[in-house]
Amino acid sequence: MRRFAPTLKGLSSFMEPHHFFTAQRVLIVAGKGGVGKSAVAGSLALLAAQSGLRTLLVSFDAETIAVPAHERLEKVVVTPGKALTDYLASKGMGLISRQLAKSGIVELVATTAPGLDDLLVLGRIKAFEKELRADVIIVDGPAAGHAIDLVRAPLQLKRALASGPIAQQADEVLAMLGDGSRCRVLMVTTPAMTPVQETVEAATELRDDVHIVLAPVVVNKCEQDVPTINTTGMSQDLIDAYAYASQRMQAQHDAIMTLHSSLDLPQLSITRRHLDGEELVNAIVEDLAAAMETLS
Amino acid sequence: MSDITVDSMCANARVLVTCGTGGVGKTSVAAALGLRASQIGRRVCVITIDPAKRLADAIGLTEALGNEPQRVSIDSIGELWVTMLDVRETFDNLVRDTSPTPERAREVMENSFYRNLSRSISGTRDYMAAERLYELSNDERFDLIIVDTPPSRNALDFLESPERLARFLKHPIVRLLVAPGRGGLRFANAALTPVLKIISNIVGSDALTGVAAFLRAFDGMENEFSRRALAVAATLRSDATSFVVVTAPSPDALNEADHFVSELKRLGISLKMVVANRMPPRFGAATSTAEHLAAASASGDLAVAHMLLAAMCEDSERAALGIVGFVARTRGQFADVPAASATELPSDIHDMASIAVLAQQLAAPQPRQ
Repeated sequence: MRRFAPTLKGLSSFMEPHHFFTAQRVLIVAGKGGVGKSAVAGSLALLAAQSGLRTLLVSFDAETIAVPAHERLEKVVVTPGKALTDYLASKGMGLISRQLAKSGIVELVATTAPGLDDLLVLGRIKAFEKELRADVIIVDGPAAGHAIDLVRAPLQLKRALASGPIAQQADEVLAMLGDGSRCRVLMVTTPAMTPVQETVEAATELRDDVHIVLAPVVVNKCEQDVPTINTTGMSQDLIDAYAYASQRMQAQHDAIMTLHSSLDLPQLSITRRHLDGEELVNAIVEDLAAAMETLS
Repeated sequence: MSDITVDSMCANARVLVTCGTGGVGKTSVAAALGLRASQIGRRVCVITIDPAKRLADAIGLTEALGNEPQRVSIDSIGELWVTMLDVRETFDNLVRDTSPTPERAREVMENSFYRNLSRSISGTRDYMAAERLYELSNDERFDLIIVDTPPSRNALDFLESPERLARFLKHPIVRLLVAPGRGGLRFANAALTPVLKIISNIVGSDALTGVAAFLRAFDGMENEFSRRALAVAATLRSDATSFVVVTAPSPDALNEADHFVSELKRLGISLKMVVANRMPPRFGAATSTAEHLAAASASGDLAVAHMLLAAMCEDSERAALGIVGFVARTRGQFADVPAASATELPSDIHDMASIAVLAQQLAAPQPRQ
């Protein structure tokens, strides 16, 4: 579906993957379940490493997609529960923190300040960024529609807690989130009307409420173009199959045009593949690299 | 082989819960099952947690409605109602219902901690989903409640959430916050006070004072909370409730579906049916190999059409294979569980007409797998 992406090739310099990734230090990948967010995040990380950057892939879930190993790619798992327990330990609850986790005190703290665990996860990412653990940090965001809750957490906590260590932590995280040279959010969608509408809504919210700078949108699982043919005289199976494929194509086209007109962001298209695991990641890396070249 | 069908399930269940990962069409399937049940004469209420706006539009849900079920105008002998979970309103109602006096209810609702708690925080949302199910299943307007769980890996957490909240309210630290001076707890106080100090340092003393005020206002209500929690848990584990796992044929969706099946097993809940949704359609009986051969001998538009059909046949075979594997694995845990399937429509579900097509497909006799 590259024909819908802006084709500025030849008019200005191409965007090499290297430039794409160094535009910010932290790239948070967000998208609803089913759009292939983790595969895209893993592919972005591998591509960044391949383009010569020391890359850190942060995921919130240990059971994430298999990403091929690379000498410049490091992977860490930061779970919200773990971030909170670590934080409590650092505040003098170290000896009893395991006991606390079991007894529900961690839950008490989390409930007292809702979003605290989310804030601490972002705090960890901010710490990675500050200590220059890598040239680029790719964050495979939380599953489902939790990404907005995640980046909103510091804002909510700041409203609830005027001062103290949490408020300070929230300020630091907000400073990172609001600075497009440090952090951007990359939305992943599929070329269908429902996910596109949700992406547009989420993107608008992120921009307006949390003042986040958005990276180009990745449109994943694009079907290949169906050429226009004349089916007169063909068997019914062929006519039906062609009609179905054409309708799907039209629906995909409509969704992409809607995304284009409602969201002023370049699009990176990825072709749908029947692959899994590392093979899928490698294939997406190729598409991403090619799509980045069309960006100005 | 089990003789449960979509229609028999829709005719007999009191509560139907659909679970599955995002993007598999879980909410559409919930709506389609609701439509089917209403067509066989039942008064159905579909409760959805956080529907995509486009789908909400399709089933006539508007945001202004909040918690109040709205009737969908369709031509059927039964009734179809839909509602969206409003966490705040459900929690407020629960507090009003369980507090001894209106003053106490107001005191709780004005508390800053309560206001944080009742905002859409995931744990509270889970709990309120269970509470809402309790209310609706006791609502005489309906004889079937369909719960569309949130599209998250932890969607089944709501099953355990009432117990979790009850456990939390009984915790020594929480009791200490409620009644710092009570004699019997003095010894415990001495050990726990430093912990409270640390918590207070982290979240700020204002926040902790707010929590203490909330818990004191709330004191005594937790028994009613627990009673309702147990009632919901009992309903969900009884024969009156049917759990359905919805999946699509892609490898990532199947992985998640396996996870849901194991979770149900772990929770001791029986699985009534699996639904394979968004299956690529099958055109004609030709195998993909035959199609490739046909394509090779054709030319021009005919070759293009054959190639297209060949690719679609391959898609369809791959999907069928994935689902057969999933159904076999599932039957290893839940013997004889039936499977229904529906094909992917050319454009995504956006109106009642497309939900009706889905309902018809799900209810059609299924080839045995």
